[in-house]
Amino acid sequence: MKIPVRYGRIIKILLIIIVIAIAWALRWRAVTVLPVDYDEDDYLRAAQQYAALIRSGDWTGFTQTNYRPEHPPLAKIIFGVSILSAPEAPLIPDRSSSADPDQTLPKNLLRDARASSAVLGSLEVLLLALVNPLAGLFLAIHTFTIKYTSQVMLEAVPAFTSLAAILCYVRANKRKTRSGNLRGMNTWFILSAVFLGLTAASKYIYCVAGVAILIDWLIWSMEHKNLKRFFLQAFLWGLIAFLIFLLFDPYLWPSPIERLRSSVSFNAAYSTGTHVQEVGYPIWQPLTWLSMSVPWSGNRPAFVVMVDTFITLLAVFGVTRLWKKERLYGIWLGVAMVFLLLWPTKWPQYILTLTAPLSLAAVYGLSALVVEPIKGWLSRRKEKTNRDKKSNLANLRRVLPWLIPGSLFFITMALIPLLFEFGTSLTNLSSASIRDGLHGGILRAIWQGLTGQIEVSQITGRSNQVEFTGLNAFPYLINYISGSGLLFFNIMWTLLSVFLSTGLGLAVALLLWQKGTRFGRIWQALFILPWAIPEYIGALMWFNIFSPEVGWLALAVKRFGPNFPFSFFSGWESSTSFWLIVLLIPAVWYGFPFLMLAASAGLKMIPSDVFDAAAIDGADGWHTLRFITWPLLAPLVIPAIIVRSIFAFNQFYLFRAFFVFDNGTMANLSYEIFYNGQYAISATINMATVLILIGFVVLLNRWSKASEGVNYA
Amino acid sequence: MRKIPFWRQFFTQIVLVVIGLFVILPIWGMTRLALDASLIGRPTEFHLFPKQFSFETLLKVLDKPYQSVNFSVLLKNSLTVSLGAALIAIILGASLAYAFARFRFPGRKPGLFILLLTAILPPIAFLLPLYIFLGVLGIRTTLLGLIIVYAVFGMPFCIWNMRAAFQAVPKELEESAYLDGAGILTTFGYITVPLALPSISVAALIAFLMAYSEFAIGWFFVEKPTTLTIAMAIYAMVQTQYNSGAQPWSYLGSLALIMSLPVVIIFLILQRTLLEKMLFGNPGD
Repeated sequence: MKIPVRYGRIIKILLIIIVIAIAWALRWRAVTVLPVDYDEDDYLRAAQQYAALIRSGDWTGFTQTNYRPEHPPLAKIIFGVSILSAPEAPLIPDRSSSADPDQTLPKNLLRDARASSAVLGSLEVLLLALVNPLAGLFLAIHTFTIKYTSQVMLEAVPAFTSLAAILCYVRANKRKTRSGNLRGMNTWFILSAVFLGLTAASKYIYCVAGVAILIDWLIWSMEHKNLKRFFLQAFLWGLIAFLIFLLFDPYLWPSPIERLRSSVSFNAAYSTGTHVQEVGYPIWQPLTWLSMSVPWSGNRPAFVVMVDTFITLLAVFGVTRLWKKERLYGIWLGVAMVFLLLWPTKWPQYILTLTAPLSLAAVYGLSALVVEPIKGWLSRRKEKTNRDKKSNLANLRRVLPWLIPGSLFFITMALIPLLFEFGTSLTNLSSASIRDGLHGGILRAIWQGLTGQIEVSQITGRSNQVEFTGLNAFPYLINYISGSGLLFFNIMWTLLSVFLSTGLGLAVALLLWQKGTRFGRIWQALFILPWAIPEYIGALMWFNIFSPEVGWLALAVKRFGPNFPFSFFSGWESSTSFWLIVLLIPAVWYGFPFLMLAASAGLKMIPSDVFDAAAIDGADGWHTLRFITWPLLAPLVIPAIIVRSIFAFNQFYLFRAFFVFDNGTMANLSYEIFYNGQYAISATINMATVLILIGFVVLLNRWSKASEGVNYA
Repeated sequence: MRKIPFWRQFFTQIVLVVIGLFVILPIWGMTRLALDASLIGRPTEFHLFPKQFSFETLLKVLDKPYQSVNFSVLLKNSLTVSLGAALIAIILGASLAYAFARFRFPGRKPGLFILLLTAILPPIAFLLPLYIFLGVLGIRTTLLGLIIVYAVFGMPFCIWNMRAAFQAVPKELEESAYLDGAGILTTFGYITVPLALPSISVAALIAFLMAYSEFAIGWFFVEKPTTLTIAMAIYAMVQTQYNSGAQPWSYLGSLALIMSLPVVIIFLILQRTLLEKMLFGNPGD
């Protein structure tokens, strides 16, 4: 069935309208419900000043007014316009930017200014929905985006204009390809420069979109061998953007260079200043923000759906497709991400620089993770007939003797416990009710709960009877582990440690595999050692080096002074970023031998004539590795990587040895909670772990199947 | 391929030396602790080599390592538990692995999936159910209880590994044995197992190692000091050290070394087998 183009268009318009309605409704709720946040009083004060200027017609005043001059004034002026209709209120006092949020702001003004934010936020959703309605929906329900485009914050304007700049540029490019050659700047190009200028006049960091445009433009020009023209046009384009920026930043007019310099240098100084340092966010904090929904909420819940974690997750799996299909958005996402990671200030609102491309990536992720597998499954289902069912049954009789002894043990000791664990996660079993639990209370609670005989109870149990809680603990727990950054840390930990140990393991295997490497046997015997040493002992060995005060490193620094190599590691325990590095060292130490063995075993199976052929064809070392060795090796190494990843995700003893209780993996959290007697919550965490790991294994397995297409032929 | 030129050999060896140092460094750090008789309590000075070299603590530990328990008891417990767990995991696992490797039967795919599920479960997930189950059976605080717990941990991995090994045995060999009149068990025992033996031993080694080095879960299954394993004793020492700082670090180092040594030796002997027989197979088929 094919939908006629006309109807398709109508459906799309309908979808866009629905998305806009959702976006507006969610933002309006946030406008009315969210408590006052940091900085809102500052920008409202700025808005009051501008409103006063407009009322009195004092247009020259604009060149002298910019409260909080580190940020350009456009967004603040818009707030000023938005509160014109409200009755005047006394000027909000000047307070330091780190002062606690002032909850006593004038209600009317706050609501009007917030509403203007929400309008622009909804317009941003509209723009994205024009590209893809589903992406618009993701952006509409993204709680961080909702929050910061529903408050008196500077985010709404630049988020909107930067997306507009991108869209105009895309539009301009479409024209370019249609007419075959580039005939100078068209209107859309100029519009994109204008929007970029407006972005700069609202908040500087959103200009990463402009950087993305330039990169895409440069790549395009290189592909079309048109670099000369690129420089000329990009210069013109940048000039327009800059002029627009100047035009909409009247505060700069009296002394442009001086004021521009001071506002830029303020941001640079602020980022390394004490206020930012005190908060102590690690380098990867922006990723942590992305991995959670807004964790702060007032008395009334401001957000109806909180699925930011899933949007980010989908986006992770959609990034490669996004890159292939819509490169510009991929570049945008990448540039913004790199910037956020490098920039020392890590406020949560900064992630709005990339939530638009993130939402688009999530759409591709959804298609990769859900839509395509279902389509594939359906088509395979059609092909499958019920052949050889009979022989299967005959086989069953033959296989039973083999199955029975192992299965008996496996089912009683592994499968039933697994089910039992799941059952426990439906209750609130704790140390208070363990006596009841041991005498059948768990089964009773589950039975009564599932048959609806009793009411669903509270999640943390303190009574001495086991009670049924159903699946209630799951959403609560997902929010907790994503909101505390644990989930993100766990995933990042797995990826980093597996990536590093695979890299080292492969490198060592390749070095040893070269023809004529001396002492290969001895080296290999040495490198295998860490794997033979029990993990906890190995971790203790490293703790013996790194432990504060009595560790080798600390003692060496004490004796030889700070010029001792690696002395920069001392004091690692006070910095979260350093923690990660110090813990990764033993993780790699323990993990790489396994990968080295797997890779060595794989390398032995590759016939050597493949390499002779490559050498004859003139392939150099890197190309041989990239296009011959790795594709042949991958199917043999990937199972080992999967096994290693599972171990890394469940890593336990290492964190235990380093006495890191509040920042380990989910297994550590589960153990701690179990130790403190909340058995049911511990069980829930384990179930969540299993769900995550199943997804992980399925994905990695697909990946390894994709690479299996290469044969030894 | 030609042999590599000198500069490349040189460069390779330099890199290998750096990695070798990285591998050796922490091991040496622990060894130094163990061999230094001058250490009372926690280390206070930096020394690359033992200040007062002696095997004294090492021998003392062999006599009475932790509280009132003899080292021989700890070792005996550790070996009983680890060997027992590895044996159960291998013998019961082998039959399942063979069934999944050779036969196609209804429920095979879900079975494989459940197998995978238990393999990826963090061991902590088994704690509560096994605690209750073994409590009901009345063997929770015995060595047998520990054996069962550790066998459960090791089994899924063993099954995966052995399944891949059995699949690698040529089917034709088994079929020709049938044709010559051998029974299923005979074929399995005389053809399949010997051919897959290296992989089976690797699986056994890993199950052994898992049980040998586990302490956090096993902790809940121990009530008397007479059923402690070495790993648990080390853990207990670390805990008391952190609480009071009284136990000499050299004791800890010695115990850790003594514990690691046998496994290291086994690994070195089995190196070749390990290299060639680490199979995982494809979880998808």
